[in-house]
Amino acid sequence: MSIQIQNVSKAFGSFQALDRINIDIQTGELVALLGPSGSGKTSLLRIIAGLEELDQGAILFDGKDITDVNPKERNVGFVFQHYALFRHMTVFDNVAYGLKVRPRKTRPSKADIQKKVTELLKLVKLENFADRYPSQLSGGQRQRVALARALAVEPKVLLLDEPFGALDAKVRKDLRRWLRKLHDDFHITSIFVTHDQEEALDVADRIVVMNNGKIEQIGSPEEVYDHPNSPFVYDFLGNVNLFKGRIQNGKLKHGSFEADIPELFSQNHEEAIGYVRPHDIQIEKTKISEDAVHTTISHIHIIGPIVQIELKRTDAEEFLEAEVTKEHYHSLQLKVGEQVYVRPKQLKVFIPEDFSI
Amino acid sequence: MNILPVRKRKRRNIIPGFGLSLGYTMLYVSILVLLPLSMVFINTTTMNWSEFIETITDERVVASYKLSFGTALAAGILNVIFGTIIAWVLVRYPFPGKRIVDGLVDLPFALPTAVAGIALTTLYAPQGWVGQFFDFKIAFTPLGIIIALTFIGLPFVVRTVQPVLQNFNGEVEEASASLGANRLQTFIKVILPELIPAILTGFSLAFARALGEYGSVVFIAGNMPMKTEITPLIIMTKLEQYDYAGATAIATVMLVVSFLLLFIINMIQWVTNRKFLHS
Repeated sequence: MSIQIQNVSKAFGSFQALDRINIDIQTGELVALLGPSGSGKTSLLRIIAGLEELDQGAILFDGKDITDVNPKERNVGFVFQHYALFRHMTVFDNVAYGLKVRPRKTRPSKADIQKKVTELLKLVKLENFADRYPSQLSGGQRQRVALARALAVEPKVLLLDEPFGALDAKVRKDLRRWLRKLHDDFHITSIFVTHDQEEALDVADRIVVMNNGKIEQIGSPEEVYDHPNSPFVYDFLGNVNLFKGRIQNGKLKHGSFEADIPELFSQNHEEAIGYVRPHDIQIEKTKISEDAVHTTISHIHIIGPIVQIELKRTDAEEFLEAEVTKEHYHSLQLKVGEQVYVRPKQLKVFIPEDFSI
Repeated sequence: MNILPVRKRKRRNIIPGFGLSLGYTMLYVSILVLLPLSMVFINTTTMNWSEFIETITDERVVASYKLSFGTALAAGILNVIFGTIIAWVLVRYPFPGKRIVDGLVDLPFALPTAVAGIALTTLYAPQGWVGQFFDFKIAFTPLGIIIALTFIGLPFVVRTVQPVLQNFNGEVEEASASLGANRLQTFIKVILPELIPAILTGFSLAFARALGEYGSVVFIAGNMPMKTEITPLIIMTKLEQYDYAGATAIATVMLVVSFLLLFIINMIQWVTNRKFLHS
């Protein structure tokens, strides 16, 4: 089922949670709503589910306006961050709930319910836990029960609110891979909310980056990661180094640093910030170009195959972070305290006034 | 070679003061509850067995058991229904004067029961403000007793259910709605089961209180032997006639039956609790 979100706004008192949001979601897509807390992502998800009312705008499912439709008639599966399982019911009864509450005409027979629930429990690998109560399960297991429960009603849309937020890192990774696989097998249009950029990049087909109730950028994970269209997106998706300076004749200048910015050819700006990802920073032992900065290595962290290097600029009281592969690190033979030159391989410049409101 | 003897270490509880607090609890319960109650039994033993049986199976006394337990049960059930509704309204909906209503709930506790009894009797007497609108008698019948007992037991269910509702996770209701359940189904299948332990607690408190209630009932009951005479009144009457053994004999029956009933309620509660609060 495709979902259109048209011009949706929502305020809580004087706080504008959502401000004219427009998103088109295709059938079978897996979309991540990514943003910091308070960005409105959860409000948007709850509005799609019908758990929250919107102030203006419309929600369309397959082109049909469902803005005023009761949540119980939307055929939406909702998964909560804290699972929201019925704790007085067994795992089996939790999953069967959505089928059992149907009106008699459409309610499946007892045998059919049994069959369906067993199938779903097998899918979430909990077939041996049918008689347990939620309190007897681990967090990861509980969230799988919640997923099975949501899937039992054969929803056209699956909405997940920070589904893995309360789980520990390892379980989280397993579950999100599993969710991706589930989605690839069933092709249910799914939207999940997360504040974890890694999770969004890892799982989603498309990412909607939100901030302050507005959409910052919509695009595939590569698009938003490699070509962020605003400083916020740059900052929010992964680590970033800043070069705060000015643009003079199409060049970003800061201290002894000077770099050509082709897209700002012959322009002048008082204020400009260059953004560089740590893995786009080249470390060299000698100065070979104007855009190299003289630095001192202040810290080296080796994390598996990646080496993180913290550098202090000698021309300014600023620190830079670089990421190199282990091989490259060994071939350079870097040591703490060593003086090296640092050059951004890819630099994106934003002029602040374009983004200040 | 020296082999260090393996000493069995005394198990220590991380939370300090276990011995002291348990000892205190035992002493307190013994002096305040067990000792007075055992006096009832000891006093009863001054009668012989046939006297005892005769006293407790006296026609008038048996009628009073039925009345006392019946009206206390009815009042307990009424309090469960209306107490739950009041708690629900107080927790779920904002309305003007909510705090005042919230405070009013406790008033039956603060009021001397005799005052409550007199007030209710004037209201429900055949010529009273409320009583005049009914063609049947309310005061001086078991119905009046039920009203008095409901009045004094009102706070119990409200105050036990209220905090549970307050802490109720709203997401669970939303989950139920998104799974296609209507409001009634959500209430019966999701909310009510979570309230049952609190409701049972409130019920047993209200019931126990109603069973022993004397002050408010004697005014509204009319105290007609065989019809509206409650057991506590019979006990009082016997005491006034210096028939201590007779009074304690009837008290023994009340005590044993109350204990059994409360025990059963606690058992039910234990089973329902175990269902979802870990096993």
